[in-house]
Amino acid sequence: MTDRSESFFWNGQRISFEPADTIAAALERAGVTDFGAGQGPCNARYFCGIGACQACVVSVGGTPAEACLTPAQAGQQVRTLKPVRQ
Amino acid sequence: MRSMDVLVIGGGPAGVAAAAEMARSGLKVTLCEQGGALGGAIHRQPGNPARAVPVPRAQSARWHKLSALLAKTDAEVLTFHAFIGLDATGAVLVEDRRQGRLLVLRVRALVLAVGGLERVVPRPGWHLPGVVTVGGLQVMMKVTGRGPAGSVLLAGSGPLLLAVAAQMTALGAPPLAILERSRQVLSPLRAAPLLLWPRYLAEAAGYMRRLMQAGVPWRLGSSVQTIRPTDDGRLETVIVDGAGAVSRIVVDKVALHDGLRSNSDGLPPAAHATDRNPHVVLAGDCREALGGVAAIADGRNAAQQVIARLTGAPPMSSASRRIVDTERRAQQALANIFDFGIPDLLKLPDETILCRCEGRTVGALRQMLATDDQPSPREIKLNGRIGMGSCQGRFCVEWAGAMLAQQTCSAQPAGAEFIGNRWPSRPVAIRSLLGPAVADAISSIPPNESD
Amino acid sequence: MPHEISPVSDRANSVVIVGAGIVGMSAAYFLSQAGWRVTVLDQGAPASGATGAADGAVSVASKKAGPLMTLAVAGAQFYQDLCDAGVLDGEFVRRLTYVVATEPNELPVLDRHATQLREAGVTLRALSKAERDQALGSLAPTTRAAIEVQGDGHAIGYKVVERFRRIGGFAVKRNVAVQGLWRQAGKVAGVETEQGIERADAVLVAAGRGSAAFLDVADVIRPRKGQLIITERGEGIVPRFPGPLMSCRYLISKGSQPGGDAPAGRSFGLVIDPLQTGQFLIGGTREDSADGSQTDIEAVRRLLQEAVELVPALARLRVLRVFAGIRAATRDGLPIVGRLSAHENVWIATGFEGDGICLGPLMGRVSQQLISGAHVNVDISALNPARFRAEAAA
Ligand SMILES: Cc1cc2nc3c(=O)[nH]c(=O)nc-3n(C[C@H](O)[C@H](O)[C@H](O)COP(=O)(O)OP(=O)(O)OC[C@H]3O[C@@H](n4cnc5c(N)ncnc54)[C@H](O)[C@@H]3O)c2cc1C
Ligand SMILES: Cc1cc2nc3c(=O)[nH]c(=O)nc-3n(C[C@H](O)[C@H](O)[C@H](O)COP(=O)(O)OP(=O)(O)OC[C@H]3O[C@@H](n4cnc5c(N)ncnc54)[C@H](O)[C@@H]3O)c2cc1C
Ligand code: FES
Repeated sequence: MTDRSESFFWNGQRISFEPADTIAAALERAGVTDFGAGQGPCNARYFCGIGACQACVVSVGGTPAEACLTPAQAGQQVRTLKPVRQ
Repeated sequence: MRSMDVLVIGGGPAGVAAAAEMARSGLKVTLCEQGGALGGAIHRQPGNPARAVPVPRAQSARWHKLSALLAKTDAEVLTFHAFIGLDATGAVLVEDRRQGRLLVLRVRALVLAVGGLERVVPRPGWHLPGVVTVGGLQVMMKVTGRGPAGSVLLAGSGPLLLAVAAQMTALGAPPLAILERSRQVLSPLRAAPLLLWPRYLAEAAGYMRRLMQAGVPWRLGSSVQTIRPTDDGRLETVIVDGAGAVSRIVVDKVALHDGLRSNSDGLPPAAHATDRNPHVVLAGDCREALGGVAAIADGRNAAQQVIARLTGAPPMSSASRRIVDTERRAQQALANIFDFGIPDLLKLPDETILCRCEGRTVGALRQMLATDDQPSPREIKLNGRIGMGSCQGRFCVEWAGAMLAQQTCSAQPAGAEFIGNRWPSRPVAIRSLLGPAVADAISSIPPNESD
Repeated sequence: MPHEISPVSDRANSVVIVGAGIVGMSAAYFLSQAGWRVTVLDQGAPASGATGAADGAVSVASKKAGPLMTLAVAGAQFYQDLCDAGVLDGEFVRRLTYVVATEPNELPVLDRHATQLREAGVTLRALSKAERDQALGSLAPTTRAAIEVQGDGHAIGYKVVERFRRIGGFAVKRNVAVQGLWRQAGKVAGVETEQGIERADAVLVAAGRGSAAFLDVADVIRPRKGQLIITERGEGIVPRFPGPLMSCRYLISKGSQPGGDAPAGRSFGLVIDPLQTGQFLIGGTREDSADGSQTDIEAVRRLLQEAVELVPALARLRVLRVFAGIRAATRDGLPIVGRLSAHENVWIATGFEGDGICLGPLMGRVSQQLISGAHVNVDISALNPARFRAEAAA
């Protein structure tokens, strides 16, 4: 039996998630800790887990949202907030 | 949605206790929780019960009792609903994050129980990916039911480090070590007052037993001073121990925690109703960070205040208030053995990030403060862009205020002097603000209100 | 004898300025450059009034034809001069402004405004659909017409104030509320404060809304509240445009163009200002209210709705902050700058409503010229404080 039934996309790459996972939880499980260029000069990343620090904001379907509060949904396009810097 | 008398914000112990108590008294109560489930910081658990994170039995018993109490009432629970603010007209704004819409609610009372915040003292590298708060690490375990992957160092001060280390260990992912900044934790003289609260001692003993069995060191007097990224994507930590000796360890994650604090930032202040505004009551850790037992009692207190104001019923027993007082003394006793003081931030290297959202450094603030003409907190915010980012100052204004106080040897300004209490208390999607506003959940206010 | 704040030796050629907003702080800088001993007193802190709660449009494009438009041209040029002189370098950027029409009835308003701007010597061009798409790719297809106005700029009020404070050479005293003028031997010799007397040879009242107390005609200065919205950074989410977008309705709300609707207690005029941080400022309201601490969802929704109609991609962002400020409006819509006729050594510079960031440095310079008895090189005859007295007497 597997509960890893569904997946979303992180910068185009498939990430599977379990029921009740937040986006942050699924990324953590996939070993993604650096969420790339963020709102300010620091890279986005998981920090407080409760929606307070805003460090984990990523683009969810084109709109910024906290990865730690947003439930993962099948087929969702999740991306680094800003276009990848060279 | 239905008509309501009282809106409770936050599904932790304080909010649930308040909602249950008010619903039992016959008030129409709606409880909004931004996350997907109730429980709050202590009692949240993975969606899959098979993956439950072990917690002390007394703790889970408290939660079972409380949630059963709520379930027996007709209180309405809305998950994925985040409080945004109370506007000038007295409308309570709630973002329905699932539907992407806004609720504009007129209620008779508003109970805010949004929980406390962790403090993390800035140090070089605290903004790097892989550095998390200890509570954040715990939230992750409680969402996924798994311990963190890779090697983890816990550092800072407070009982939460022990609790989380024990939970990690139980999930098969013990931390490399716990670095506890305080040297006094085991000092019999300092710890003696804690004998009055055997519950805390028993809880700590349980955690320590587990940690000892797993061989997790608890190093007193040690702290993480600097964190640097390594070429292979890991973190090198510079550790200073109680004797001042410096060592380095490379790890995958560093979890930091320097205590808990109340969190009224961006919230309207507690106040009696006016011709526009509802009664506003703050409850639990957001009002005063006193722990889980106090949060339940404080939620009940809040409920009794609201019931008294809305129904004219005399305030009930003072039992909950006594619990809160007792827990306050317990927290003071704990604070006496741990180290929640603010170190000399003026000693931090210039390039240390102070405000992570806007990337403002210690050096930049130091420069602003290096004049005879001392700027006010508001000028520091505007000109230094500290507290102007998306976290709205929650993780930096305490430190900016401390630096100001340390530089000028004056009293530390409150966070509110930097950031005030404007709404939105949290960044809110324009799409939600523009969605169809649901404004029909207005309960009629009877003419004869008490006070 | 009341207690005095500053030592006696500090009194030669001294001036006390009431108010550390952009006007008072600019004046303080120029006066101290001109050799005056300057003390600025503020009941709060620098930029704690309108200056710290404003957008920073140094805009000719939005002005009403007449003295305001002419002064705005000079005001923007003065910013440029101060940048070139190294005084405000980095605090002012030149940029274009776009005025757009989305409704058919806005087209004549846009035409009229363009003509008036041209008459004031402003360079502008009407954008064709193709040019609009090129310059402002993110505009909604419903946009009917747009003009691109040159010569505007942007400056952040509180940063200008901070710059003057840093390079100043004058004293700023915070948390000192001025209660009134202080007279000695029938002559004004300073100001009275809660903390005591501040003596000076001359007084400049630049107290924004608080200036009303120093005028001898009532109801000249009226509070006009504005609510503003700041979004998070839009990089990679909302295409950038080179300067602020103003709706024709903004011109009407501001009173720069007559509007169809009767002036309400609250009007909305849309400006979408792309800030240098990558954030967007979305404004604003004009309300007959003096409560600058409160904002409301109805105003916010209305402004956001209009903003998203014009730039649909904005709907993808989040709102970070909403705040309000109080503009000091005057009965006739023109600022008040000049000597108070009842006193030979008291001057006033206030009533800048929504234009004080644009005009602040210039008016600080003018205040210095007036107080020093130097030649004033712009025409400020329309701003004479005595005009209300004449009106009251009539
Ligand atoms: C991260 C963290 C971990 C902790 N871990 C422990 C522990 O292991 N053991 C222990 O004894 N104590 C722990 N504490 C302390 C303990 O959580 C508190 O004493 C207790 O939970 C406080 O209860 P509360 O109801 O006041 O707040 P919380 O339990 O924090 O509950 C607040 C609730 O409000 C919700 N919320 C927040 N903002 C909004 C909003 N804008 N709109 C809607 N909902 C919102 C949150 O999602 C949360 O569910 C922890 C605290 C934190 C911050
Ligand atoms: C929402 C909003 C948007 C705006 N947008 C723009 C724009 O885009 N472009 C533009 O050009 N302008 C804009 N403005 C207008 C501009 O902000 C003001 O015209 C300008 O800041 C006025 O500056 P000031 O120095 O005259 O007054 P203020 O900045 O109000 O300063 C007056 C100072 O005097 C102090 N004071 C008052 N009374 C006393 C007393 N008795 N004793 C001591 N101190 C006292 C106050 O504390 C205050 O600091 C805007 C204003 C608002 C509110
Ligand atoms: S991790 Fe802090 S808001 Fe998501």
